Amino acid sequence: MLPIVSITLFLPLLGALLVMVLRRPPPRVVHAIGITTSGLTLLGAVLMWLRGVNDSGFAQVEQIDWMPSIGAAYRVGVDGISLPLVLLSALLFFITFIYSAKLRERAPAFVVLMLLLETAAIGTFAALDAILFYVFFEISLVSMYFMIAGWGHEDRQRAALMFFIYTLLGSLPLLLAILGLYLGSDPHTFDMRAWIDNPPLAGTAAMWALVAMLFTFAVKTPVFPFHTWLPAAHVQAPTAGSVILAGVMLKFGTYGLVRFSLQMTPDAFHDAGIVILTFGVVAALYGAFAALAQSDLKRLIAYTSVNHMGYVIVGVAIAALALDPTVRTIALDGAVLQMVSHGLVTGALFLLVGMLQDRAHTREMDQFGGLLQLTPVLGWSFMLAAFASLGLPGLAHFPAEFQIFLATLRVEPMAVIVILGIVITAGLYLKAISQVFLGETNDQWSDMKDLNRREILALAPLLILIIAVGIAPSWVLDIIHKTTAALQF
Amino acid sequence: MASDLTLLIPEIILLLSIVAALVAEMLRLPRTALMVMLAGLLLATVLTLPLLGQDTGVFSGTYRIDTLSVWAKLILLPATALALILARAELAGSDREGTAYVLLSLVTLGSLVLASAGDTMLLVLGVLMSGLGSFALVAYPRTNVATEASMKFFVFASVTGSVMVFGLSYWFGGTGSTLLSDLARLESTPLVAAVGLIAVIIGLGYKASLVPFHFWAPDAYEGAPVSIAGYLSVVPKVGAIFALAQVVRHLPVTMDWRLIIAVVSVLSMTYGYLAALVQNNVVRLLAYSSIAQAGYFLLGMVAVGVSSLAFESMVVFAAAYVAMNLGAFAVVMRVGRTLDDFTGIGRANPVLGVAMVVFLLSLTGIPPLAGFVGKFLLFAASIDASFTWLVVVAILNSVLSLAVYLRIVVPMYRQGDTVGATRLTPIPLVTLVWVTAFAFTLGLGLAAQVLLSQLN
Repeated sequence: MLPIVSITLFLPLLGALLVMVLRRPPPRVVHAIGITTSGLTLLGAVLMWLRGVNDSGFAQVEQIDWMPSIGAAYRVGVDGISLPLVLLSALLFFITFIYSAKLRERAPAFVVLMLLLETAAIGTFAALDAILFYVFFEISLVSMYFMIAGWGHEDRQRAALMFFIYTLLGSLPLLLAILGLYLGSDPHTFDMRAWIDNPPLAGTAAMWALVAMLFTFAVKTPVFPFHTWLPAAHVQAPTAGSVILAGVMLKFGTYGLVRFSLQMTPDAFHDAGIVILTFGVVAALYGAFAALAQSDLKRLIAYTSVNHMGYVIVGVAIAALALDPTVRTIALDGAVLQMVSHGLVTGALFLLVGMLQDRAHTREMDQFGGLLQLTPVLGWSFMLAAFASLGLPGLAHFPAEFQIFLATLRVEPMAVIVILGIVITAGLYLKAISQVFLGETNDQWSDMKDLNRREILALAPLLILIIAVGIAPSWVLDIIHKTTAALQF
Repeated sequence: MASDLTLLIPEIILLLSIVAALVAEMLRLPRTALMVMLAGLLLATVLTLPLLGQDTGVFSGTYRIDTLSVWAKLILLPATALALILARAELAGSDREGTAYVLLSLVTLGSLVLASAGDTMLLVLGVLMSGLGSFALVAYPRTNVATEASMKFFVFASVTGSVMVFGLSYWFGGTGSTLLSDLARLESTPLVAAVGLIAVIIGLGYKASLVPFHFWAPDAYEGAPVSIAGYLSVVPKVGAIFALAQVVRHLPVTMDWRLIIAVVSVLSMTYGYLAALVQNNVVRLLAYSSIAQAGYFLLGMVAVGVSSLAFESMVVFAAAYVAMNLGAFAVVMRVGRTLDDFTGIGRANPVLGVAMVVFLLSLTGIPPLAGFVGKFLLFAASIDASFTWLVVVAILNSVLSLAVYLRIVVPMYRQGDTVGATRLTPIPLVTLVWVTAFAFTLGLGLAAQVLLSQLN
């Protein structure tokens, strides 16, 4: 059997090395390498998808000894929670490479960083060894720092610095928790499967480990009040960086919440369930209200991410609180699907804002107007993505949020107040659409061009998938459900 | 006695090559002196390999051949070779060039004596041997700054050294022996044990530049040639840290020495990085960073005697620290001493830039680099010894350290300065050093098992 997981994981790194050894390659060649490698990676991820997952535990596991003296090894594999995220990452990177093919400014360095980031992202989701997980988790930070600092907008240095320091501060408690779990396991190992099967810590120690992990994942997700780095980073990041940051890297937080917090300290998570649920509800509502107050389109979308990731946390917390296994599965199915939907929808939205900014060099909503007549393809695409984002039935977010709310109603009816978030997002998207795309056309933009072929090529797969997940979520849910239904905690 | 000598072969070779190099210098053949020293260091390193796994002592147990001692040789001998190459690039053609090589190697010998000490008198000998050479090396350029730095260094060393000898006399009075292995006898006289320990921490803490005995370090590094500063920041420091570990492992179990070490660790890490945050001279910045890094070593020290990871983590971190810190100093030597010198360097010299970023990120402890593996093991050892609070402090300091090291990285890639930034023509010797250090920083991070399997 071909080790497809490892091949998929290291293909981008190989591409990065290839770019590095070339002496002063022209941008065309560099972008061709980027698109080809990420395309092959996507192919690998699709093959992984076709191979599927097991009814319980992890599938497609590949391992080699790494540091046997301390029980660390190279272990990768997937289950129904990580596999959709691997596929999502591979897809978003491929699309981002297509979108970025026009970039001329230090193209080789850009492509190398993006490819490094792709390996780090896929590795974070596929790692089954805590050290390996942490290594990929941190590499993604470093690459994103250089991405924002190198290709961002006006105030990029400050934003990049804030992002790096904030998220490093966020990720170090996870290291502490990993060490605690390691020293608690017997025999000492960093094998995440062993930790999931037999949670190594109990009582107060488990609670402390959980608190440390929650801090890490709360910063990463981000949850109010740890979200302040997010708008700054998004506003300053280049479009490619924003797509990856929102589409892929925010999922590190919620994925970690499920994989580490929920699965490795299940009892403590259950005890703290109400608190986590409260954080989720507050994050979702805060994100929606904060988005309502924005005039910058990119900031607006950044804040809706806080809102959508809040729903994921609500779903996970409900799953921990639920006593009825079927309800638990519904909540978790919803939470995982919500991660995938958010990746698709926000990826599309950030791409569209990027395309708009390329043309207008501004993102202030009140500067625009009537763009739907000038750039119908861009306009309708944005409307589709925006409607998906506000949870319209038939589009990607609906099946996910529906399941989360359904489970919430069964377990903690009070928490259903979070549905208010949907009403607010609906309002703010309608406001944004009416300001930017409807109404009087502004003469300033009369020669604005509609999307070109490259841009449509980048956008189309996302829009198609948004509809596909919305209308027939079962093709994703089946894979997710296989694992969530078998989870014991 | 004969078997004692075979166990000492690396030290003997080092000493013989020092003598030979001195002769070459007297004949005004500095190049030959360098070659002799390099060959001697290489040979001594290779001949240390058969000693791996030994746990014994020579000269009635006063000089140890154990994990710390053997690994000190395996780490510090090659580090000295790299420092010699750097020194050659910086000092070639200067008057008395060969003496620098000889003194440098003598300091290494002193550091090895420290790391192998099984007796309080050898501690004193090691501190003196590594001290005397260092003063002369710092004063080597004979500029006012260098002379002043050397003077401060010397006065500081004299005071701390005397305090240490004074304190050690209490231990001798309490145990009737100078052997470290007899320290357990102090169990019934805790006050004597404490006075001696504090004196030893002062004496070795100055050498390892631990807060609050660090004051000499930034001035000495600034005054000294960059290559010498780089050398002083690694070799004597590791020797002193290992010596302290040799001492604490024999302290009475009833004594609460771990807390003292932990407090010194917190002070060093925190003060080192806070002070580094406001430096504009990169050498001073790295000096304060090396003070903080010394504090990290102590995370492994508090676990001595309770966690099997204690020595393991200190050795791995020592290897990592030597590689990344020497690498950073080598880059500073090529680029310049002030932060302004680094402006745009990363854009104009991509490979050198990447190497510097890797060294600095490794110093921060970002995976998968060597510094991460070292710090990770240190953290594990400390948690294993129930010093979780110390690890929390260390982690907060790691965040602070990122802010420190990014002060160098950020200007390296600042936009708009590309025009002003020079494309540096590589100096082959310096390039050799940072490329080697780079390979180790990366390799040790990915293949730490090579080291770990030998340590178990």
